[in-house]
Amino acid sequence: MTAIHVLLPGDIVQSDALPTSRNSSKPLTLGPGLQHELPDTITAVLGGELCVDERKNAIWVEHNGGKYNPTVGDLIIATVHHSSADFYHCAITPYTTFALLPQLAFEGATRKTRPVLTSGNLVYARVSLANKFMEPELECVQPSTGKADGLGPLKGGMLFDISLGMARRLMSPKLKEQARLIVLEELAERVPYEIAVGRNGKLWVNSGSVRSTLAVGKAVKETDEKGLGIEEQRNLVKNLLKTM
Amino acid sequence: MTVKDASLSTLQRADGSAKCEHDGYCVIGAVNGPIEVMRRDELPEEAAIEINVRPAVGVGSPTERHLETLLQSTLRRIIRVETYPRTLIQITLQVLSVPDVKPTPVSFLAVLPALLQTSLLALLSASIPLTTTYTATACAATSSGDLISTMSLTSAATLASFHVFAFTAQGDLLLAESEGSFDIGIWNKVYLTAEEICRGKPTDAVEDIIMDQQGNSLQERLQAAVQSKVEADRRWKSS
Repeated sequence: MTAIHVLLPGDIVQSDALPTSRNSSKPLTLGPGLQHELPDTITAVLGGELCVDERKNAIWVEHNGGKYNPTVGDLIIATVHHSSADFYHCAITPYTTFALLPQLAFEGATRKTRPVLTSGNLVYARVSLANKFMEPELECVQPSTGKADGLGPLKGGMLFDISLGMARRLMSPKLKEQARLIVLEELAERVPYEIAVGRNGKLWVNSGSVRSTLAVGKAVKETDEKGLGIEEQRNLVKNLLKTM
Repeated sequence: MTVKDASLSTLQRADGSAKCEHDGYCVIGAVNGPIEVMRRDELPEEAAIEINVRPAVGVGSPTERHLETLLQSTLRRIIRVETYPRTLIQITLQVLSVPDVKPTPVSFLAVLPALLQTSLLALLSASIPLTTTYTATACAATSSGDLISTMSLTSAATLASFHVFAFTAQGDLLLAESEGSFDIGIWNKVYLTAEEICRGKPTDAVEDIIMDQQGNSLQERLQAAVQSKVEADRRWKSS
């Protein structure tokens, strides 16, 4: 195992830590936790592990904590708080300003046919506008095609809180290879369920019965909190299924 | 200096938290933010910072309010407040225990290094963007001009003056608070001692390596606390 490169805020990223694929035509991309100071200094603003992606020519500081900060394009699970004439006001994270979800930003919604959401309903939405000066805006439809692509109100099921790092892992395209997660696959062999993962640290699980919904949620939460490896996840699922 | 125990993210519900033991004082801190700010406190271009200090016994008094203003003006310079305009960053610090034996007279500054250290760790755990990190320490002098090392600040001794210093990771002086009677000569001596405690010996490289092995300076302790948090977070990658 190679040594972990831990940065503290104010540390300067040395040039030998940058991606080596310099001949690549892609410009260097700075991810969260890093700031470019003119002319050629890269400083860390968060504490965490420095991660490098040679293929994408990108570097960032991996951190797992703090409040979710909305970014355009993120898929999130929001709770409807109240509605006004044209908008639903939704909570993304507790104690922050509400995000605006236009009532017509659903698949096939018109003035007459639009989903009726009340306080406490969940929606799976994409962040369509986010900047630090304004409240974020959401949408449940792909604006170019008019299709929902899986977004929209979430009916039934149960919501679990997970860490932001776990939410990122669950959304990675290669669950087993990249994120080292097999807990979902192992459970799916025995229990039918559907899940939705929100980048704001939310996991929505729906299954046939309350018992199996709780089992899925508990399995993911335990994997998250204890940082379980592949073999430990397999044992966890085995034990959970025994009690069902 | 004795930072026996410093751990990050000890509380479940807060955005960031830390627990830290420093010079016999144990403090737990929670950071929530950026959250919605009351209209009255809202700043159009930057985040407002609210600090609450709770003593180990009883309710807060003017002493705690004064410590809060000291912390507030220090942390304003550390937090990148322009990242989150019109929001609030709320820091709550609870003193859990104070040393049984304290030098007399008891200075209100004695708990300040522990509060500073805990709030920095909690901010790191909450992933709030910072410009730099810092370390803080206390130092005291007797009426004859002898310095008392922080190690024996938990013993009964009679003090003439009490000082608290904070240095950034780059070595700049961030905070200097003093109480009692002293002259500039004593202050200079205390300043140099505090700098050594926080940043390690500023002499040649050979001695620096020795310091590294012992893990003596506060800056290295800070690094170690973050390192162990990072290792816990990436446990799934290696197990």
